[in-house]
Parts: sequence; structure tokens; C-alpha cells
Amino acid sequence: MHYTIEINGAQQSVDIDGETPLLWVLRDVVDLKGTKFGCGAAQCGACTVHMDGHPIRACQTPIASVGNGRITTIEAVGESRLGKLVQEAWIELDVPQCGYCQAGQIMSATALLTRTPNPTDHDINEAMNGNLCRCATYTRIRAAIKHAAEAGRA
Amino acid sequence: MKRLILAAALLAGFSFVAGAMANEKGEYLARAGDCVACHSVPGGRAFAGGLKMASPVGTLYTTNITPDPETGIGSYTLEDFDRSIRRGIARDGHRLYPAMPYPSYAKLTGSDIADLYDYFMHDVPAVRQANRANEIPPFLSPRWPLAVWNVVYTPSPGFTPDPSKDAQWNRGAYLVEGLGHCGACHSPRGTAWQEKSLDARDSSFLAGANLDDWYAPSLRANQATGLGSWSQGEIAEFLKTGHNRHAVAYGSMGDVINNSTPYLTDSDLAAIAAFLASLPATEAETAWVEDTSTAQALLSGKTDTAGAALYVSACQTCHRANGAAAPPYVPPLAGNPTVLDKDPASLINIVLNGSWPLVAKGRPDAYRMPQFREQLKDRQIAEVVSFIRGAWGNKAGAVSPQEVAALRKSTQPSSDNIVVLKMR
Repeated sequence: MHYTIEINGAQQSVDIDGETPLLWVLRDVVDLKGTKFGCGAAQCGACTVHMDGHPIRACQTPIASVGNGRITTIEAVGESRLGKLVQEAWIELDVPQCGYCQAGQIMSATALLTRTPNPTDHDINEAMNGNLCRCATYTRIRAAIKHAAEAGRA
Repeated sequence: MKRLILAAALLAGFSFVAGAMANEKGEYLARAGDCVACHSVPGGRAFAGGLKMASPVGTLYTTNITPDPETGIGSYTLEDFDRSIRRGIARDGHRLYPAMPYPSYAKLTGSDIADLYDYFMHDVPAVRQANRANEIPPFLSPRWPLAVWNVVYTPSPGFTPDPSKDAQWNRGAYLVEGLGHCGACHSPRGTAWQEKSLDARDSSFLAGANLDDWYAPSLRANQATGLGSWSQGEIAEFLKTGHNRHAVAYGSMGDVINNSTPYLTDSDLAAIAAFLASLPATEAETAWVEDTSTAQALLSGKTDTAGAALYVSACQTCHRANGAAAPPYVPPLAGNPTVLDKDPASLINIVLNGSWPLVAKGRPDAYRMPQFREQLKDRQIAEVVSFIRGAWGNKAGAVSPQEVAALRKSTQPSSDNIVVLKMR
């Protein structure tokens, strides 16, 4: 099947089986390798991208279901004000250790701050619950989200 | 994973027998009856038996139905074979337990029995594997009560077409009531564990039933909890692929998709769909209508209940804020009959234990439900399932932590909880 989907503001045409996960299309077809494959079962959050600003797991999103949804990946999240603030906070606080999960963490954190500009610890727990980090950088992730929220208020 | 291996092993077994001289009609009928689902074990040889099943009287092991003369059915004559399948009496005269769906198979025509016999005797590879003894307490082990049971609950052999219906409907009825033995799971059972009805004449037929910790949904035309909102094409698509825009197969239906219905011809699937679509609803239900306020609240971060908050963090990234997910690949929760059923067993079970791959004609599907047994507590699962049952226009009752706890216990891999037929 032929699909035209919007990825990071650009229309991309792909000819692929409708069941194919969006993650495959991002990494192998349009060559955006910033989004990572973690578990392939919506259990780790490494592949999180935005559809219309909301976090989805690209590994569990059939390409046929994307339709007119606007996809944003880690490559373009910094083009939004909040996305840029989150990335800066991540650098400022030196959040990543091995870094593999961090693209997904940043996507989930940006989506959280978009709908909840001043998140409580509870909000952060809920929103980030599906993003695992084997290096256990969770405390720095929490601090960086608060840091970005503060920068957003300035 | 075990299911996937089983499916692969069985497929290998089947391709082995598909020689030029094979009785293709018999093989087709064996597919339609899904004999292999019970008469095999994961990693074992096709039809060699050994699957453990729980029953009200104790643990049963399915038998070797390969043509090995000593451990299988190699010494059966056509008459012996017919008697066991349509009347539940083995060659040596002992009564089979109705875990074998002979009350349904009684509907088979003599000519189909002959084709099945030919296939099992000549095309199925013989496997020497002794049957395991059933584990039934001595006071329950005499089999004579089954003879009485059979007189009451097993119809006489053969299928009588309904002259008021067309040939397609009658073909569908023959497949569903007979070989398909759909009622074994989907029809409610009575006090003697008999299916309350075995054909379309009774309104309890395929009206939905709880079996093995799953609720097998109604296949009747109920608008919300049955197939009332499914077109005949969508019913056929579901049987052919395990997926359609309303739902994805789960639980024991996975065995049906992996081994049986995708192998049926399009005309037989259309006949099954026409027959199922003709079964009237058991009660007047309001069809599901979308309520967009749930999605709006979730998208704006307004999660005012614990269930909604859990949905956002555990479910929404796949099933989406509007509960519509990505059909036919990822099933919707909004308007899904399994979500709307009065009995929440399947919904709770699938949250606890996830789903297994569907392998329609050897092709595994891409998406599955992860298990949340280790991640969420009983109270949390009750909260999120209750939220799902009341969201997006769904109108089904709340679920209690006690119901979740009971299912968690009985679906524990180590559990040997006795239910009617245990297939897991």
C-alpha cells in the first residue's frame, strides 16, 4: 500500500504493508534513526514519538493508522520552544548515561510539559511511567523536567 | 512464544501430509474441526494427543488420534471412527468425556465422516505415543453416567437442513453447529456441563459463556455485546485473519485462528457469516455511540480518576486517547463487544496476561497486548478496566479488585484450578 504521512513537517511517501510499524518506517525507510527500538512491545518507551503532539509508541503504531496525524520525532522536537527547553535542560543537568532511552524520555517529557506546564511529582510519575531507563537516570530526568518547566515560566 | 512454536510445528506437520494422493477434503474437514488444537501439545507431533485439560471430574489428557495401531487409532474401522466422533464411544466401548465435542460432531454427515477417516488413516503420519492416564478420583471414574448423559444431551447423528433457509445458511449452520463446535466455548452450559443448546433453534445458542477464565462473547446479533454491529464481510474477515475493525482474536480463539478458520474457503466463511448474522439478539441493546468527551479530557490532561490516569500512562500510547487504537491491527476499546460484555473476565484476563501471536496461515501478526500482571496491582487493574468500560460511550459496569484478584489467582501459570475445560 501507498501512504503519505507527515513527518517533522515534511510529507513522506512510502510504499509498504499497512501493518508495518511506524518505527520501521522512520528508521529503515525515511532514515530517521534518532528514534530507538527498545522492546518492540510498548513496554519501554524508547520509541516514543509524537502524533499531533501526543506521545505514542512508534513500535506499536501500524503505518496504516497514522492517516493525517502529524508525526514529530526526536530530530525535530527541538524546533518547538518547549522541546528546545527540554533538550537544554537535559544538557544542563547531564541527564543521559548510556543515552539509549533518552530520545523517548525527551519526547514524553516534552508532551507532558505541553499539556501540563507546571507538573507535580505525581504528574511526572504518571506521564513518564512508560519510559524505562536501565541506567536509572530517573532522578535526573525528574530534575530536568522541573528545570525545563521553570525555564518555560521565565 | 509457546503458541508460536506450536503453530509452526503444526504447520510443518500439515505440510508433510499434503502429498499428491492426500485426501484434501478430509484434511479440510480436520481443519474445520480444529482437531489439532486439542489433540497436540506445544512442540509435539500433530494429532499425537497429550494436552492436559481440566474438567469437572478431574484432569483429562487428550488422546493420540494418529493411525498408529497400538497407541493411536490405527486399528479403528470406519464404523469405530464414526461411533467415537458422532456418539462419543471409543472402539473398546468406553464412553468419551464430552471434552471431546461429539454432541456437536454428531451433526456431521456420513460422507464427511468417511473423508475424515480416510485422511486420518492414510495421510496423518502415525506417531507411537502412549496416551496418558486421566487423573480422576476413583469415585468419579466410572463412565456409565456418561451413557445416561449422552442419551439426554447428544443428538442423533446427522444434519437436517432447515428447508425454510437457503443453501448458504444451511452450509453455515452445518459448519458452526457441527465441525466448528463454536458452541463449546460460546454457548452457555447447564448444570450437567452440557451446552444448553446445540443449534440455532434455541436462543441460548452462541449467546456467550464464561469458560476457562475467559468470557467467549455472544455471536448473536446483540447490538453492543454481540455481533450486531458487524457486517457479514467483517465476520468473515475476522475468521480469515483474526482481525477486523471491531476486534482482534484472543484467548482460545487464537487456537482457532492459528489452526482452523483461515484455511476455510471464502465461500464457507461467507456461509458461516450469513448463519451467525441470522441469529437474533437475546436482548434489545443500544448500539454503541461515541462520546468524544473522554478523549477531550484525556488529551487536555484532565485525568480526574485513578483509572483515567492509569489509562494515560499504561494504555493510551497504543489504544489512543479516543480508544479507537489502530484497527484492524490493534483493537479498539471503544465499542468493542468484549469491553461491553456484562462479564468482564476477558478484559481483565487480557490486561493481566496479555495476548499471544495470531499466526493466520503461517504469518504471525505484528502487535500484541503486553501482560500487566507484574506491573499493576489488583486495585489498579480494577480502576483502569472500570474506566475503559465507562469511557468513550461504553456503558458497562465497574469491576472490583476482588474480581481481578480471583482471575489473577486462577490464571497463575502454576494454578491447576478446575474449570470446565482448561486450555491454556
